[in-house]
Amino acid sequence: MGLISGMVMGILFGIALMAGWKRMMHRRSDKRVSKAADVKQVSALNRDDLKKICGDNLPEWISFPVFEQVKWLNKHLNKLWPFLADAAEAVIRDSVEPTLEEYRPPGISSLKFSTLSLGTVAPKIEGIRVQSLKEGQITMDIDFRWGGDPDIVLAVEAARIASIPIQLKDLQVFTVIRAIFQLSDEIPCISAVVVALMAEPKPRIDYTLKAVGGSLTALPGVSDMIDDTVNSIITDTLQWPHRIVVPLGGTDVDTSDLELKPVGKATVTIVKANELKNMELLGKSDPYVSVHIRPLFKVKTKVVDNNLNPIWNETFDLIAECKETQSIIFEVFDEDIGEDKRLGVAKLPLVELESRRYKQMELKLLPSLDMLKIKDKKDRGSLSIEVTYHEFSKEEQLKALEEEKRMIEERHKLKDEGVLDSTMDAVDETASGVGAAVGAGAGHVGGGFAAVGNSLQKAGKFMGRTIAAHTGGGNKKSSGSTTPINSIQENGGAKPRPT
Amino acid sequence: MGFVSMIMGFCGFGVGISSGLVAGYFLFIYFQPSDVKNPTIRPLVEQDSKTLQQLLPEIPFWVKNPDYDRVDWLNKFLEVMWPYLDKAICKTAKNIATPIISEQIPKYKIESLEFEALTLGALPPTFQGMKVYLTEEKELIMEPALKWAGNPNVTVAVKAYGLKATVQVVDLQVFALPRITLKPLVPSFPCFANIFVSLMEKPHVDFGLKLGGADLMSIPGLYGFVQETIKDQVANMYLWPKTLEVQVLDPTKAMKKPVGILHAKVVRALKLKKKDLLGASDPYVKLKLTETKAPSKKTTVKHKNLNPEWNEEFSMVVKDPETQALELLVYDWEQVGKHEKMGMNVVPLKDLPPDESKTLTLPLLKNMDPNDVQNDKVRGQIEVELTYKPFKDEDLPKDFEETGEVQKAPEGTPPGGGALVVTVHEAQDVEGKHHTNPYVRIICKGEERKTKQVKKNRDPRWDEVFTFMMEEPPLKDKLHVEVLSTSTRIGLLHPKETLGYVDISLADVVSNKRINEKFHLIDSKNGRIQIELQWQTS
Repeated sequence: MGLISGMVMGILFGIALMAGWKRMMHRRSDKRVSKAADVKQVSALNRDDLKKICGDNLPEWISFPVFEQVKWLNKHLNKLWPFLADAAEAVIRDSVEPTLEEYRPPGISSLKFSTLSLGTVAPKIEGIRVQSLKEGQITMDIDFRWGGDPDIVLAVEAARIASIPIQLKDLQVFTVIRAIFQLSDEIPCISAVVVALMAEPKPRIDYTLKAVGGSLTALPGVSDMIDDTVNSIITDTLQWPHRIVVPLGGTDVDTSDLELKPVGKATVTIVKANELKNMELLGKSDPYVSVHIRPLFKVKTKVVDNNLNPIWNETFDLIAECKETQSIIFEVFDEDIGEDKRLGVAKLPLVELESRRYKQMELKLLPSLDMLKIKDKKDRGSLSIEVTYHEFSKEEQLKALEEEKRMIEERHKLKDEGVLDSTMDAVDETASGVGAAVGAGAGHVGGGFAAVGNSLQKAGKFMGRTIAAHTGGGNKKSSGSTTPINSIQENGGAKPRPT
Repeated sequence: MGFVSMIMGFCGFGVGISSGLVAGYFLFIYFQPSDVKNPTIRPLVEQDSKTLQQLLPEIPFWVKNPDYDRVDWLNKFLEVMWPYLDKAICKTAKNIATPIISEQIPKYKIESLEFEALTLGALPPTFQGMKVYLTEEKELIMEPALKWAGNPNVTVAVKAYGLKATVQVVDLQVFALPRITLKPLVPSFPCFANIFVSLMEKPHVDFGLKLGGADLMSIPGLYGFVQETIKDQVANMYLWPKTLEVQVLDPTKAMKKPVGILHAKVVRALKLKKKDLLGASDPYVKLKLTETKAPSKKTTVKHKNLNPEWNEEFSMVVKDPETQALELLVYDWEQVGKHEKMGMNVVPLKDLPPDESKTLTLPLLKNMDPNDVQNDKVRGQIEVELTYKPFKDEDLPKDFEETGEVQKAPEGTPPGGGALVVTVHEAQDVEGKHHTNPYVRIICKGEERKTKQVKKNRDPRWDEVFTFMMEEPPLKDKLHVEVLSTSTRIGLLHPKETLGYVDISLADVVSNKRINEKFHLIDSKNGRIQIELQWQTS
């Protein structure tokens, strides 16, 4: 009897023990899971959440800007700056000098740093925003501000004249840097980083140039040339959608998806303009239109003399690299002796265009693209255009890319052979050849580089506006520029294609 | 009878409890799912006040304390990256563990041991705030509040004697408050030489350990014991002031400390080529070590001489004899205009035997490009006598600055006395009425020293070191530090201005051995100066 009752008791006890254990397990497991959920939850709080938790006692020091503040990072940056500056100087010297060489304008035979000190003022990071816009990628936007006191002296050697040291002072950089991290399954988990400056808000890079032991006026045009060179480097290599791709990690990574490549072609017909503003004292304006997607790849219509309602009917092909962010910019100029006056600008974001859909539009001309600067509400007339956007298929894209590669190789070969002094000169030659036929303006270029002094200034100016533009076009990247028709349009400007 | 029945009862209980446990195990535990689920997270706004109450202890530091910064962007970054990190870490862990396991198994008579599941779960670690401390030393200190309440699943299956047992770790939670110190800071990437990590509090560790599906950690008492043991173990190793040190750079290399001195004697040049139109050239020699910022040294100018003899001696500090080289440039001096280069040559320091004088006669070249045809032209020769003297180990300066230790006073210090080493680091917000070209003058017991002048800068940085010898500890003396500015122009008005001064009592230095502080300047609006003082005794 005792045995059975003992067994029954034992079984019951054993089962109860197990049941108890199971209960404990559940309880502890639930506790842990709920804690995990809580921790996860508080890792990304927003204002409403905090309001709910804290009620009325919400601390005043908390705010939730889109770009999260990183005071701690700035504190570190301040402290680290003297060391960082030292280390960075060496790197900049090694990496920027070749870039300068690549973009060196003609008329300048050497462009090097003779002093490079980044100064004592550390840059500030105003805020950081992290987004995941695409599967497998992290997009980090850094609001970067630097009002530094660097001491940078560029040794500029202008064509057979003299070497003048040019000091770059009061550098100010305000820009949003976008870094895209491509994730991978291998340590360190980031296979490549894409770096670019955001186009919106536009990067602001200000500086003043000063000649050491002399005046810049001694070498006219040099200041403009440097401005243009810096500008070209920034807009053509750094500003979104142009980017720098840095592969990380030892393994070979396919970064071709990250590289910028042509995605489509916009065929634009500039029909006419209506009621343009008169800028001339005598007679009427002589308007022409300059169109571009990338600033370095501009095309122009011919000039219609003395007309405020000009009709052009000219068609251009423009290559787009990023449909989401790029726009077609139309600038209407009045051709004039000396500097051409701008009659107005219009912007057409590519996003508004549908692929393979013909579209007729009337664009209102504005005094400036910067909405903040527009003061007057005066009517500046309008521009009638016709647009078809054609998205590249895979094959077309590949073809475009190959064409681009071929062009780059050709240029490098020419450079290696010593035919060209700099990459810029190639265009100089073609440009002056075509330019001679086209107009007096380009004539300056041909003669200007050999001559010194006054003509150099004009050449420099001219080059800054158009030749540099051609370089970009001929240089590569926009593959469409390699078709014969386009290249003529680029170089000469005004050869309409019958529509 | 009663006794026998009691015995029987006990026996029955014994048998019963074991079968009961087995029955209970199969009834309640065995069929429990062993897979790990992701916790469902409801938006905060929807939750009631009771669950919110539960959340209160988890409120991140940045909400409660203004000295913590929010780093939600980092959390977001980690969250997106986590699936990739998870895969990468698990793969690496497996790759490391597999060979070790296969090596160890035979010793323990285990048939096989393998990971049935290895994942870190869907929940990434989170940062609940970031705090930084600023000190006057060359270091960066940060304290991220790290919380990882994950749902990893690590299941190890062990097979032995035909039986299989699984051990599963679930719901690992680690909350820690590490302090990360980066020091010393160095002027080459990544800009710091060491990483020191230590924990400021005992970490909180919690997890479930399932053996055959039953969580051992839920046995009352055992959990507390295990947790305490782990905490103590970790605390023994890493709780502040114990640290984990990770070296990133070799600090002596990174700091580019002087390792020797190069004595160079420019003897003469021979058969220099004429450069001036009228008369002979006026040559002088410029000497420069590569990779240094020190200004180049120059000999005197020998006028109208194409075979000049200088016999001038120079000494230069060498930081890396392997890569540095001595550049010798011969110039033609001109009264007006650019001095023309007459030729050059380079001597790599690694070609010089240490502590041995070597006389070299080098041809002068146009440039160092060996293929340049212009170098075939004869430009003359230069004769130099070079001696590289590396520092002996004992006079190699120890990196006292980094370790914070005070080094021994130099030899020749009188007994009882010592050396006062003053490092003028930097100043902030110094401003003159008419000009701000600050330099520092320090006066100690009548001895006066000056730093270099920094032009047009309100926040100058000097980093200059001065040493004062003392007969006895300067217990009653003061150090006078004065920031001055002189006009760069040879101005008649306001040639000199005082931007502020401070008197530092040296008794503190003697008792503390080392002081590194920012002092507020007197006679200055908001100026501060950072001075490091060391008292070195033999």
